[in-house]
Amino acid sequence: MSRPKGFLVLGRTMAVPLSRVSAVTGLALLTLMLAACAATLSLGRLGIPLADLPGALTGGAGGKAAFVLERLRGPRLVVGVGTGAALGLSGALFQTVTRNPLGSPDVIGLAAGAGAGAAAVALLLPGAVPVPFGALAGAVLAIALVYLSTGTGFRNPGRLIVAGIGVSAMAVAFIQYVVYAVERDKATVLTAYVNGSLSARSWEHAATIWIVLLVTAPFAAAIAGRLGLAEMGDETAAMLGAEPGRTRTAAVALSILLSAGAVAVAGPISFIALTAPQIARRLTRGTGPHLMLSALTGALLLVLADLAAQQLPLPVSLPVGIYTLGLGGLYLGYLLIREWKKGTL
Amino acid sequence: MTVTVVRTVPGDAGAPRARASRLVWFLIVALAVLALAMLASITFGSLPTSVGDAVDVLRGTADESTTAVVQSRYPRTALGLLAGLGLAVAGTIMQGVTRNPLADPGLLGITAGASAGVVSATAFLGVSGQWNTVWWALPGALLAGVLVHVIGSAGSGAGLARLVLAGAVVTAVLTAYVQAVTLGMPKVFDSYRYWVVGALGGRDFDVLLSVLPAAGLGLLMALLLAPALNTLALGDETASALGASPGLTRALGLVAATLLSAAATAAVGPIAFIGLAVPHIVKAVVGAEVRAQVVFSAILGPALLLLADVAGRVVLRPQELMVGIVTAFIGAPALLVAVRRMRSGT
Repeated sequence: MSRPKGFLVLGRTMAVPLSRVSAVTGLALLTLMLAACAATLSLGRLGIPLADLPGALTGGAGGKAAFVLERLRGPRLVVGVGTGAALGLSGALFQTVTRNPLGSPDVIGLAAGAGAGAAAVALLLPGAVPVPFGALAGAVLAIALVYLSTGTGFRNPGRLIVAGIGVSAMAVAFIQYVVYAVERDKATVLTAYVNGSLSARSWEHAATIWIVLLVTAPFAAAIAGRLGLAEMGDETAAMLGAEPGRTRTAAVALSILLSAGAVAVAGPISFIALTAPQIARRLTRGTGPHLMLSALTGALLLVLADLAAQQLPLPVSLPVGIYTLGLGGLYLGYLLIREWKKGTL
Repeated sequence: MTVTVVRTVPGDAGAPRARASRLVWFLIVALAVLALAMLASITFGSLPTSVGDAVDVLRGTADESTTAVVQSRYPRTALGLLAGLGLAVAGTIMQGVTRNPLADPGLLGITAGASAGVVSATAFLGVSGQWNTVWWALPGALLAGVLVHVIGSAGSGAGLARLVLAGAVVTAVLTAYVQAVTLGMPKVFDSYRYWVVGALGGRDFDVLLSVLPAAGLGLLMALLLAPALNTLALGDETASALGASPGLTRALGLVAATLLSAAATAAVGPIAFIGLAVPHIVKAVVGAEVRAQVVFSAILGPALLLLADVAGRVVLRPQELMVGIVTAFIGAPALLVAVRRMRSGT
């Protein structure tokens, strides 16, 4: 029996599509991410020296190292990896569905909605409802509003973007009002949250995002093949039995669930969901959703951004969301100029 | 919008006199609305006064305390006039220049540029006070506006989505910068959060005077450019054939629009949707002629902004809702309704 090319054969009946370039890229990304993780744990004044790291991770840590690992940087790192992966996966699903390289849950108002939800909770029900729940509710509400106001669901990217702008404008105005109305200290905390931050995360945060990730990942893997077909256009997809309508709805639901999970643990971190799938696609030079690689890229990007947020010698420590916003904005600009030169947008 | 143009122009072409007299009537109505808005603006506030009080003060027959209360609302009303004019005329010119119905100072990065300018000046140059920061909002806004225009609409056929995305890019990068600076410096953050919300209150005549030259220059340029912009609406090739130079007109139009919206933003902070909505209302009323559009925008913009400001003073009494928030919550639903009517494929 000849082995099918481009597939990884598991046992006698299963074959997972896996091309060699994807496998190599995946391994390279994984290696880079492990290096970034090691750097996150060992750099800086409180870092665990690289030589002690294996011992500390296998349970031989004591005193300062244990505190850094279990309380300070360990949970933050685990939340960072999970959130980055969730955002990367969410973006890959969303961009494939909208067939638009610039579509992402945060471009169409999810982030601003989450910020407004958090602000509403902070202003109206201080202490009664946890801020992340407010963020979650706001994000869902914003997406629902965008969905309803386009009139055609998520199919028309132009409408989606304009509707997203409208919803974002309202959400941002509300955030600004709250930041204006509360005292300065509260306003600073809220502004940091609204930008997305990974500082002071606990193991509960880590558990939340990883549960969301592990629950959604199998569904995402299950629809990945059909999603690839849906990319060829509705008619072709329907002929091949991919049920484009249902696949699309499922993908959007998964995408929003992942983004909302990320928002709940880290606040609205911008641009990871937008850039990770683009980078993954360019690394493999292929078509298709590249869900796994997008998730890996997202995790790597966020861990790197958070490493910068922790270690750059700035007079103040900034929330990681500001780094992703600035760098993601620059990347989006590069993407626009490139597509303009190719004349494809 | 094109629908309106097609409907209006042929019907009026045969009867220019009827069109002119209709425009005069519209002008009278618009001015009456503006006068009412101004009267409302000096009447309503946290201290109760009636329309009769306001009229008495204007005639000089009111008692001293009522006069003081009503006159304290003069700077606010004057700022509303200037900001509304600046934003609405800027929106009209921008929509004409880019042929893009979504062009608006907020969407095209100008607001973020002004914010970045204000924050930089406060943080690094020790500039303080409303009078001085104005001069830093202007260059910031100008730079951002040019950048968005270059990324978003250079080359052929300025796509609607791309210009908006270019605005989003520039806004994202500048916002990251502004957030980084303000979160690092509590003092800067404190003054910035009051500026960024967009309000007419709490500012005095000095602020108005300092942006008046920029706004005046912008309005003058807008009026002078109007005929050239009419030609531009026929398409670049036709415009060139008629002896106009589309590139120059477009560049000057962008400068005029940026001067106007930067003056408004510098004076009262970012205010959303006036620049987007007023030009659409005006086009529906007066048709495609740009000079008439500019004149009507200059009247209806302030009227709408002052009415929004009055609404903000009334809804949460005795507290106030800043006008920037009121316009966002009126304007965004209007945009969402407009989305449903967009042709697919744009």
